[in-house]
Amino acid sequence: MTRRSANSSDLAALRRPPAEVMRLARMGSAHPTRLSFLRVLLRRVARESWRFDRPLWEIDANGVGRAVYRARGPERSYCLVAFAHDLPDEMRSDRVIATAWDATFALFDGEPTAADLDRLAANVPLQEAGRIGPSELCLSRANRSVRLFAHVVGRLAEGRQPDPAEVEAVGYLMRTTAVYGSGKFGAADRDRIAWRPELAAPFQAEMLSVWLTREFTVDIVEHLAATRGGAKAVRLDSEIKCGLGVGNSTGLGMAPFLIRHPVLLNNWMAAREEALARVRALPSASPKETAAFHAALEAARENAGLWRSEHPVQVAKLADLRRDLGRIAARLGGWPGAEPRPWDALWRFGKALSLEGQEALLSLLLEPHGELVDGLADCMSADEAAGFRVDGKMTVGALRALLERDYDWALAFDFTEARNAARFWYVSEEKLEPRLGDRFDEAGAEREQPLCTARLACELHAALADWDPATPVAALLLAHPEHRFMVRRAQILQTHPYAEVRDNLIAGDMLPIDLMRCKLAFFGASRFDPRSDRWVRISLFQGEPYPSEMPKGAVT
Amino acid sequence: MAERNDPTSSGFTPPTAGGARLSCNEAEMLCLKAARGAGMSWGLAEEAGYAARWLYARGIDGPGALLAHLDWAAGRPWDAVRPVAAGDLRAHDGGLLCPIALGTAISDTAALGEAGASAVTGPVHRPVLVLPFLHAIARGSGRTMALAWAGHRVTVGPDGDVWGDVAPLSALERAELELCHGAGAEKEPPRPDRAAPLSTRTLSRLDDYAMETTVPASASSRADAGSASGDND
Repeated sequence: MTRRSANSSDLAALRRPPAEVMRLARMGSAHPTRLSFLRVLLRRVARESWRFDRPLWEIDANGVGRAVYRARGPERSYCLVAFAHDLPDEMRSDRVIATAWDATFALFDGEPTAADLDRLAANVPLQEAGRIGPSELCLSRANRSVRLFAHVVGRLAEGRQPDPAEVEAVGYLMRTTAVYGSGKFGAADRDRIAWRPELAAPFQAEMLSVWLTREFTVDIVEHLAATRGGAKAVRLDSEIKCGLGVGNSTGLGMAPFLIRHPVLLNNWMAAREEALARVRALPSASPKETAAFHAALEAARENAGLWRSEHPVQVAKLADLRRDLGRIAARLGGWPGAEPRPWDALWRFGKALSLEGQEALLSLLLEPHGELVDGLADCMSADEAAGFRVDGKMTVGALRALLERDYDWALAFDFTEARNAARFWYVSEEKLEPRLGDRFDEAGAEREQPLCTARLACELHAALADWDPATPVAALLLAHPEHRFMVRRAQILQTHPYAEVRDNLIAGDMLPIDLMRCKLAFFGASRFDPRSDRWVRISLFQGEPYPSEMPKGAVT
Repeated sequence: MAERNDPTSSGFTPPTAGGARLSCNEAEMLCLKAARGAGMSWGLAEEAGYAARWLYARGIDGPGALLAHLDWAAGRPWDAVRPVAAGDLRAHDGGLLCPIALGTAISDTAALGEAGASAVTGPVHRPVLVLPFLHAIARGSGRTMALAWAGHRVTVGPDGDVWGDVAPLSALERAELELCHGAGAEKEPPRPDRAAPLSTRTLSRLDDYAMETTVPASASSRADAGSASGDND
């Protein structure tokens, strides 16, 4: 065996099973890794020496106007078109249902003409109420962190740098409240652009849009400071600037995504789990890798120290995380020793940690091993059409066996118990946004969204009892189309083992933020700060270089 | 952040005049929700959304055909519009078949993809909606498939290209179909990849159906949908 290859049965044995990985509590403890989508983007733009500039800046003294940020890759260019607005405080809301924002954005495919800019100016500030077209890849908006934005502008205008404590307490100048892509509001469909290497991995256009937005947030505070302070004004210190990310405020709208896209979810999870298995299988730890692990742990401890939240759930998790990172550091005395698989030894040590600590350790273990795991990012997108077709030739008996194998966790619930069916997911009539209702207190459960996967699996399983096991599933579905949704999911799960969240999503004690955190961690988010059990703020790109600083050494 | 194909994210409101050009994703999601709102099961509604999108992406008014079908199917029981069996593609009483029911029935068994297979159906409502399911069979088997009626023929290849009497099929309200292999048919140039804008009527009527999947908000759900603290910080 070469150092870099473990045989496939070894790897299979080291891969965590879905029953362990696909639980809400663990998904809700996910940390960003080097396979996270913003890291994938940053590695590509560094490797391909993308060039960035700002061909247009027409922002007035009140901070109102338009700007264009251009990203030039080896084959194509993309431009973030930004519109800056003067928003009264009373209109500032992070809700999807807001109607005005401090800034609005579109990511343009190519370089916009003056006519394109005028068209976008008439639509982008309206967000959902406007229309964009196939030349746009993303539509988004951002609001100021009122406190930090004002503080930074004020200080810079006076010729002083902002108070580091203020900067650390917030971590961003603006936060996005929605970043739409993939055909939303008329934008380009995903299948029009997914063939491009730079957009093949998930959410690359969205990540590029947010990264360019980060540059805009700094430019506009410096612009306003210069306008106010004149010759006295200074620019933002580069170290403080590096510590600023782009905030994001996310509600329930994101939670159903992982359930609605089982093949995609599987591919994200499978890539991450394969990466962990590859690292665990390594027979040695080189001095360089060991040093990189120490550095990653140090950075994680610093991050955990700066991470703030007042939400009781997160406060407890942060305490776990800080304690567990300390335990990992303590374990490193004498590591690596003579273990046949030193990385696996660390991982197995971590089994005694909290879920928060274990998932942080996973992220740390991947960090020194880019060469071994980064290629897995190519496996994280999904051809969802390929998994869509139902196999009607499968027999009822085979389907039943599948359910009993893969949905045993679901079949264990008794849905006649109120606590197991306490909630229902629905889309609100007034705002068209996903919400979670109380089944026994609120009207509308008959219009429930099909996110109650465990109950659907139970209903299908019960229905199968009435059918001869040799009957093809096609015959069952012809008579009972109400089971088609669940038959498709069960068949997808057969070949995509990480496709299903193995928890009851309508239970009274289910926490939607667990789903949101998992997805946001795959984006590369850090500093998760829940504001309720269905609303979370995060930061993106904190500590990473800015577009205007590229190329700045090697991004890993 | 962006939701790919997410039917549950905040949707768009149809224009009051002039129609609109939708992305394929929007067309699919609108049609999925409309089909569900009109009473189809979630799994069938997904198929209806898929079919409408497939057609729309090929310049064919799939959403309009689906709307016409949903209007017709309102109040008709499933057992009256579905095929009797996979091997008997007629409705129980000899009436019109639902094209989504027929399409899923032939796609599920894939029997038509086998060598020499063909089938004759009972009368089908809005038969253009069956084409996407023939493509699923063609893709799975690698064989070109054809749909023929009253001297007309439309062919669909494994790669999803479609040619022949497409315009008459788009307008066809009902027909008995022959479903067979399309070997030997000469391929025509691909059709434009974008449909004309959907009419205001189509959009607003589909949206009316789609709204049947939504729930009037309660005071508590409204409150829970936001942050527990203010956003002006």
